[in-house]
Amino acid sequence: MAAVFQQGVARALSDPTLKLAIDRTTVTAERKRAAALADYPQFAAARERGTAIKDHVVANLDHYLDEFERNATASGAVVHWAADADEACRIVLGICRGAGARRVTRAKSMLGEEIGLPHALEEAGIERVETDLAEHIVQLAGETPSHIVWPALHKTREQVSALFKAAHRVPHEADTVEAMVESARRELRDRFLSAEVGISGANFLIADSGAVCTVTNEGNAELTTTPPRVHVVTAGIEKLVPSLAHAFAMLRLLVRSATGADLTQYTTFHCGPKRPGDRDGPEEFHIVLVDNGRSRMLRDAGLREMLRCIRCGACMNHCVVYRQIGGHAYGGTYPGPMGAVLTPALEGVDKARDLPHACTLNGRCQEVCPVGIPLPTLLRGWRDRSWKEGLVPRGVRSGLGLWRFAAERPWLYRLGTAAAVRAMRLFRRGGWIGRMPFAGAWTRYRDLPAPAGRTFMEQLRDRERGR
Amino acid sequence: MSARETVLGAVRAALGRPRPDPAAVAAEARALLADPDAIRPSLPLPDPAAAFAARVVSPKVGATLDRIGDLQELPGAVRRYLAGHELPHALTLQPDPALWRLDWTGFELREAARPDEAAALGRARWGIAETGSLVFHSGPETAVLNHFLALHHLVALRVADILPHLEDYAAVAGPAPRNLNLITGASGTTDIEGSYVRGAHGPAFLHVVLVGAPLP
Ligand code: SF4
Repeated sequence: MAAVFQQGVARALSDPTLKLAIDRTTVTAERKRAAALADYPQFAAARERGTAIKDHVVANLDHYLDEFERNATASGAVVHWAADADEACRIVLGICRGAGARRVTRAKSMLGEEIGLPHALEEAGIERVETDLAEHIVQLAGETPSHIVWPALHKTREQVSALFKAAHRVPHEADTVEAMVESARRELRDRFLSAEVGISGANFLIADSGAVCTVTNEGNAELTTTPPRVHVVTAGIEKLVPSLAHAFAMLRLLVRSATGADLTQYTTFHCGPKRPGDRDGPEEFHIVLVDNGRSRMLRDAGLREMLRCIRCGACMNHCVVYRQIGGHAYGGTYPGPMGAVLTPALEGVDKARDLPHACTLNGRCQEVCPVGIPLPTLLRGWRDRSWKEGLVPRGVRSGLGLWRFAAERPWLYRLGTAAAVRAMRLFRRGGWIGRMPFAGAWTRYRDLPAPAGRTFMEQLRDRERGR
Repeated sequence: MSARETVLGAVRAALGRPRPDPAAVAAEARALLADPDAIRPSLPLPDPAAAFAARVVSPKVGATLDRIGDLQELPGAVRRYLAGHELPHALTLQPDPALWRLDWTGFELREAARPDEAAALGRARWGIAETGSLVFHSGPETAVLNHFLALHHLVALRVADILPHLEDYAAVAGPAPRNLNLITGASGTTDIEGSYVRGAHGPAFLHVVLVGAPLP
């Protein structure tokens, strides 16, 4: 993973269109969120309440899991439990085989990505139709999501146009975004209606009813979960809330933080299979509750707070590092600040030791997080840990000690990195820093934009001034 | 050991305390809902129906709005809308007796939306002023797909059924329906370079017809 991250960063920084594509979406997201909060003076209080709601659920997680299972079962749902990713995939594949599924539709779910469900379906020879527009783009490109809310944010409209023209049966002619969306609508319509199984995630699990909440702006979740004979939900065990009213309190925070809207266009609560007299809906309704590292995070005082995360993506939209390198460079399912905390927890610190260092500690992520997760503190915790566990290569350790000392003293940090960049230019070869005494692997990615002759922070300051 | 026991066991071990008292947990959960006004936006207009009407036509929801005094006038309002969009008088009608009872002379009606349906008309159970949402419960009188397949989604809503806030709906909702759909605008996407486009998979147009006494 360490090598993967460095290569990823190198690739990202040398990609001429990536930064442009990232900015087109994140700048809009940042502006819209700010506007939404300006209209919502109660946000600070709501954020405190939302934090308390999630803390309450996490502190009573066993109770709420029990209650949810009881109520979901009473509604006619079948509740499954999976300790890890493999077990979760096995359960979903078993359900698909039982339904004789040749084609499944899937509404975007980061948990599905986390457990490797797309890959597992492919290996099982089941046709997977991604219905979220961005996931559809990512699937056509043979890639993985680079953002948890806008999975295809790394793609420019020109790239999307080329993908659709190559893959769609009746592709668009005019090269407008409207025509491309229309092309996807045409392409996916009959697939929606012909799948045997529809798979979704969950934004919230409602303990007192056993219902599962999904939110979309496209309406693809309902088109995914209604026509097929079987609906499967995969959800992390931390997604619980006590009741519908608590879900509403969380939705106010989630949607404003994610897209700047006050509520998603389609907010749906699914409760059990088709009932007598119902006009449509699935005959079977399965819910797979997935642990996959969450109980480990619960045990760990330095990570427990991360279980509050509602996957809004605000921390990455506001992260200077994410905006430079994009999501793929992080190498895990979850990018940005939340990914830098989650990936080592889910995949092991030995596999992701570089991620907690991909951070300037400027604190923006924590400021915008709607459930007040102290991301920089959690990241620092990982740094300390990978240090203690001897996972940081020696060259990095000495450099990092200095860097940390300076990072906690911003004036020194700026001075130090400016000096370092100037020094590094001596080692530059063709705009690329190949090898440098003392700094080694770590600086290779950390200060890669050295060719500009200015530090990351200097460039950032200039950009901010220019705005 | 079953996966259920493994997961719940790991959660309990991580929490490292005896099982909580359900009554105490419930009391704490209730306390977290206290003083809802402190955590929700206040309505821009004191009358919920007026606030709802302003909200649905604002860019936040982006719907169009019509008003009629009585449900009997609904076919006329629908005719106006379809004519305005140069659409044929064909319609998917939610299987709701209150709608089918009306005089639809001259319309071609269907109960279930076709994949390429042009227009579908439904009746929302409630409206929520805070967000401009239309609330549907799935059931014998409401097919879920009818809200999603058509290009034009038309919805009738009684003024008397407009609630101020999301919590007010939670209080009157009753037992959970199989699907509770909160619909707040037409289908849209910002997945290509963050630019907003309508009609991603679901309807590209939402038209609300308010039924009842004129708004103050
Ligand atoms: S950490 Fe906070 S800001 Fe980031 S995705 Fe999670 S809830 Fe949103």
